[in-house]
Amino acid sequence: MLRVREGDQTSFRLLLERHRGPVIHFVYRMVQNQAVAEELAQEVFLRVYRFRDNYEPTAKFTTWLFRIATHLALNWIRDKRHEKLQDSLDQETADGVTRQVPDRSRTVEQELVYRAKLREVRQAIESLPAKQRAAVMMHKYEELEYSQIANVLSCSESAVKSLLFRAYESLRGRLAHMA
Amino acid sequence: MECSLKAGVADELVAGYTARTLDSQTETDFARHLGGCESCRELLARQQAVWSALDAWRPQELSPDFDQRLFQRIAEQEQTVWWRRLFQPRWAWAPALPVAAACAVLVAAFVLKDAWQTEAPSHSQPKARIEQQVVHALDDMDMLSQIGVDAVVERPGSPEKL
Repeated sequence: MLRVREGDQTSFRLLLERHRGPVIHFVYRMVQNQAVAEELAQEVFLRVYRFRDNYEPTAKFTTWLFRIATHLALNWIRDKRHEKLQDSLDQETADGVTRQVPDRSRTVEQELVYRAKLREVRQAIESLPAKQRAAVMMHKYEELEYSQIANVLSCSESAVKSLLFRAYESLRGRLAHMA
Repeated sequence: MECSLKAGVADELVAGYTARTLDSQTETDFARHLGGCESCRELLARQQAVWSALDAWRPQELSPDFDQRLFQRIAEQEQTVWWRRLFQPRWAWAPALPVAAACAVLVAAFVLKDAWQTEAPSHSQPKARIEQQVVHALDDMDMLSQIGVDAVVERPGSPEKL
């Protein structure tokens, strides 16, 4: 990032290549809409580029990046909470097109079971308050440490633990039967 | 049998054990604790079920033109001229700009007017002075011719009439 700050375009491309996937996946799991996730992820990298001169290496770059991504995702969720813009789970099964990469090794029956399971997982995640959702996504999928999550969410580590344990408690209540 | 761990500690250990983020000593100690604690074993099983369910939610494929669109937007952003940026709403002082511009025009007009007024005489003054001198010279010549005196320009060697 320091090289990007000095105007090195190649470094920006490398940075994009390394972090684009995690950022889009994180935002997608937050907003549950692929088009919106890509739009927000574009905004994340645009902001990284725009504010490259202001970047100070006081925290890990990943933390800075996820702070921008979380901020945008939480704002979007707050602004659109009354609209149903999530990718429709029913449509996903009704039109026979899954937006995820299909696993060709599964039989039709297994595929149906998998989709039902996926729908339940998405609904369980969607039911979490936005900040708990962000904490779980960063902990489970991005494997960030408590201190990093705390930095991203601008709160203490103990607050992060509290968020996470409440979230996992809710998820256990909804998903533990899937074992 | 009651769990000997304090409230909240079991949650943290179970989450860390499932995510495999505990250091080796803590992991060994907790594994030993699990052997004798039914409630922690049950909690761990439920947490592992959640973990496995979340694993099913794999990432989606990315649009192939994501980078292209991003670099296009960066190029557009770079092309934005500085004065357009000034008028973007993110500038808190943008509403004051029209007032500032009007003030600048007024000040400029005042300065230019003042400069014109001070410069104008400086151009016309020598011209008026010359005209005045010419008039005086003609008057003098007229007066000298009337009294019969010829103006003589003395040059070394040969005097010459004007």
